[in-house]
Parts: sequence; structure tokens; C-alpha cells
Amino acid sequence: MRDSVELPAGQSPEEAMDRLEPLFHERGTNYQRNRNRLTFDKKGQPAQDRMSVYDRGELYIEQAASGNQLRYNMVSRAFLFCFLAPLFFLAFAQMNILIGEYQASHEVSQDSEKPDEADETIDLPQNAIDKFLGAPAPEIEAPTDDEEGEGNSGPSPTPAYVFAGIFCVLYAVGRILEAKLVKRLFKRRLAGLDTSPARTSQTPTAPSSAG
Amino acid sequence: MNGVRVGKRIIGAEAPVTIGWENVPKVEGGPVKQFVFTWFQPVMLVALIGFWYYAPNSIATATTAITLGIAFKILLLGLEWVSPRFTSWRLTWKEFAVDLFYVGMGYTVVRLIGSYIGSDFMTGAVQGAFEWDKFVWFLGLPLLLQAFLISFIFDFGQYWMHRGMHNWHPLWLTHAPHHYITQLNINKGAVGNPIELFLIGLGIGGFFDFLPRAALLAGSLGLAVSIYQHINVRFNTPNWWRYVFNTTEHHSVHHSQDFEASRSNYSATWIIIDRMFGTCVDGEAELLGMEGGRPMPIRETMVYPFTEGWKSLKERFRRNPAPAVPAE
Repeated sequence: MRDSVELPAGQSPEEAMDRLEPLFHERGTNYQRNRNRLTFDKKGQPAQDRMSVYDRGELYIEQAASGNQLRYNMVSRAFLFCFLAPLFFLAFAQMNILIGEYQASHEVSQDSEKPDEADETIDLPQNAIDKFLGAPAPEIEAPTDDEEGEGNSGPSPTPAYVFAGIFCVLYAVGRILEAKLVKRLFKRRLAGLDTSPARTSQTPTAPSSAG
Repeated sequence: MNGVRVGKRIIGAEAPVTIGWENVPKVEGGPVKQFVFTWFQPVMLVALIGFWYYAPNSIATATTAITLGIAFKILLLGLEWVSPRFTSWRLTWKEFAVDLFYVGMGYTVVRLIGSYIGSDFMTGAVQGAFEWDKFVWFLGLPLLLQAFLISFIFDFGQYWMHRGMHNWHPLWLTHAPHHYITQLNINKGAVGNPIELFLIGLGIGGFFDFLPRAALLAGSLGLAVSIYQHINVRFNTPNWWRYVFNTTEHHSVHHSQDFEASRSNYSATWIIIDRMFGTCVDGEAELLGMEGGRPMPIRETMVYPFTEGWKSLKERFRRNPAPAVPAE
């Protein structure tokens, strides 16, 4: 994730870094600040860390024609994971297809030896209370072609395809959304509009809370 | 931190836990919001039961149940934005993506394994071992009674499986990853090692013959009650509901960073089972997780029962080494 944010007019690089630094006072975050440059890496960052999606990166102040700019370059394993997740689900779908083909070939040879079983019809009872209250009478449906075929076709690859699609969409959404969110976060921090470092707990840690 | 005595136990000595309904905050906002978040849960329960009771046979199918379940989850995700219980539990993109991966695992890998060695297989095996005609009377019971029995018997089995997971180390190893979640959101129930998801899905309710509609009704109880175990929504849940059913509050106590609190509220739907066995703690907690809130990555979650199991075995044999045999 690479982008830049204009510093507010008159803000020194030192002051800008002072305002950003508290974002890295988080559990699992290590950072080093060297004047106008800050490098960080995170391990086991909590979900409540507002930059938990990023695992390492650097922020630095650079002089541009229009004024001072905050530039940042951050790496996220979550994006990589989300990018690769569709491949996992597609591979699983293919595995399901192979299992289905194996089962179909196995069952065809067994079916030829089996005598045809007569369809059993079962009368399902209905309690008088349910009849009185107007619930539909229970019935056993004759197995449809689809249901009969289910045993032969094995596990369905459809859920895996659906999740592969979902993760493609999620990746695209994440890349756009998280880029905007972190840019807004940096802008607000630099402008002094955002002062809380994390999505902090509302529960007081004093003993009185337990009782 | 002093904690609070609940029965013979001290709850909240290690991490903050709010004990007692009178200390749990109410929904904040205008009269419309108050009304919606007071009546949402009971109305949805009655609506779902009514739907499954009267839906024509052509509509009362498993496909409808899956579609309804997904639609209901999307609605609840929306409610998380409108009335969050805690801002620290806000769903982020990363949390949503990770949760959804586990949901995907449940719909694919766990379901595939379950189809061969899970509940369906075991139910078939047990049913085959008995003269099952003796249980045909079950079909003649009123639908709602059948649904209640299916749900209650299944939850009873799940209660003991869950309690076993908290009391027997080999089972705990499969369940521990689920306790590393640090916030409750609608898909967090799927987060955990697949072995645990498979074990917790084993139930004894399926061993009875029952009307398909009764099973769908029992499923709607799960959808309208146990789904609130993992959700970041503040409701003004009625007291009768909290007495009978499991709630977010109960489950947040179960996920608390406080060890004693986590050994309570084991049931998924019927908290009254916990009341029967003295493991119910009424209250709520915000600080959740293990090891002070360390999140567990997906890779560690997948291998945890094996790596920790191996460590435990090595530890055990180190403590009890085989008696030394003198060299010949």
C-alpha cells in the first residue's frame, strides 16, 4: 500500500511525526523513529489495533513542490491471504469433482449387481393439535432425479466456487476500503482531529466493574 | 481485582466481568431504536416458528432454511453497525475476511469430512443398530414438542461435549483456538480448529425419527436464539428470554479473559441447562480471549491441537520417564 498525504500548512515534519507516533503504541507493534522517518513491524497485533491490517512498513516526510508530504509504504499479509484464498477454494472444488467422479465410477459397478428396490411409501402421522392449528399435512416426497443423482455425483463443488467468488470481491473491496481508511486516519491525526490511538475498551478495569 | 462471588466461585478476579442483569447497560437512543432493539429477538423467534409451522411443504425445505439463514446473518451484520454493544468489537475488513474464511471452511472442508464420519454417518450407524420402529411414536407428537425435544436433546449433548472440552485436555486442545477470539461478531462462531467444529456438531438429537418440518423448526430455534451467542449488538433482551435462552451476554462471559468466567455458560441455545447444572453466570464481559488477548493466526489455529498435543505428550513423558534399566 503506497500513498501520500499533504501535511497541514505550517506543520513541521517533527510535529507531524509526533502526532502519528501514538498509532504505533500498540501491543505487538515495534517501531523505530529516526527524525522524519518511522519504520514499524507488527506481530500478533490485536483486532482492536486500528492499523491491524498492516504487518510492516515505513512512513516518512518528504518535501514536494506543493509543501511537505507524508509518504507511506506498508505491507499487509491479510491482503495476500485474501488474494490467495480463492485459489484454495478453487482447488477444493476440483477435489470435490474428482471425489464425485471416483464415487460415480465406483457406484455404477455396484449398482449393476444390486436388484432394484421397490419404493416404500410411508404414512406419516399428524398430531391432532397440528391438524387443528392448520399445519400442512406431512408427506414424504418421492426422491427426485437430483436427489437420486446426489449419491453418485459426490460432494458438490458449488459452495467452494461461491467462496472463491466472495474472496475475489472481498480482496477488491479491501484494497479500496483500507487504502481510504488509512489515508483518512493519517489525515485526521495530522489535523489533530483524531487523538485516540486504538478502539479502546469501554469496560473499566477497576474492581468495581465486577459487581 | 477482587471479583464477585457467584455460588462457590469468584468471577472477575483476573479480568473485568460485569455480574448481574441490573449492571448490564441498556440500549441507548430514541424511542424507535429502543422499541426495535427490545422487541427484535422475540418477534423474530415467533416469526420464524410461524413461518416453518405453516409454510407449504414445497417451501419448507433445507434450501429455504439455508437461504433464510444467510439472509438473517446479513440482517444481523447490519444491526451490528446500528447498535453495537462495544466499539472495541467493531467488525473490520480484516476480521470479516478472516471470519469468512472459517465460514468457508465450515461449508466445504468440515462438511465434506462430516459427510463421511460426522453426525449423518453416526446417526445412520446407530439407527441401524436398533429396532427403530420403537421410536415411531415420536412422529406422532405435536410438531412444536418434537422441535423442542430435538433442539433440547441436541443442546444437552452439546453442553456436555462443550463442558468436556473445558475439562479434558485432549478435547480442550481442539476448542482452545476458538477462545482466542477477542471480539464477538456474527461469524465468530465458525472461528476455530475444524476438528472442534466437527466435534461440537455431533449431536444425539438426530438419532430419533422425526418429521422433516420438526427438524426445520428446531433449526429455526438455533437461528433465532443461539445465533446471538456471537454478535456485537446491544439488545434489551427480556428477562424471561435470558432465563431460558443463551444470549450474547452469557457467551461474552464464557469468552472472558477471566479463567473462572470462561468455565460457565456452556450450552448453545438453552441456558437453562447451565442453570440445571450450576454453571450459569448472568452478566457480560468486554475483554475477551486468552493470553491477555493475543490473537491466534489461521495457520496456528489449524495446527494447534497437534503441536500443543505433541508438546503435552513430551512434557508428560519427561515428567514420568520410564524406569532406568541397568545395562547388561
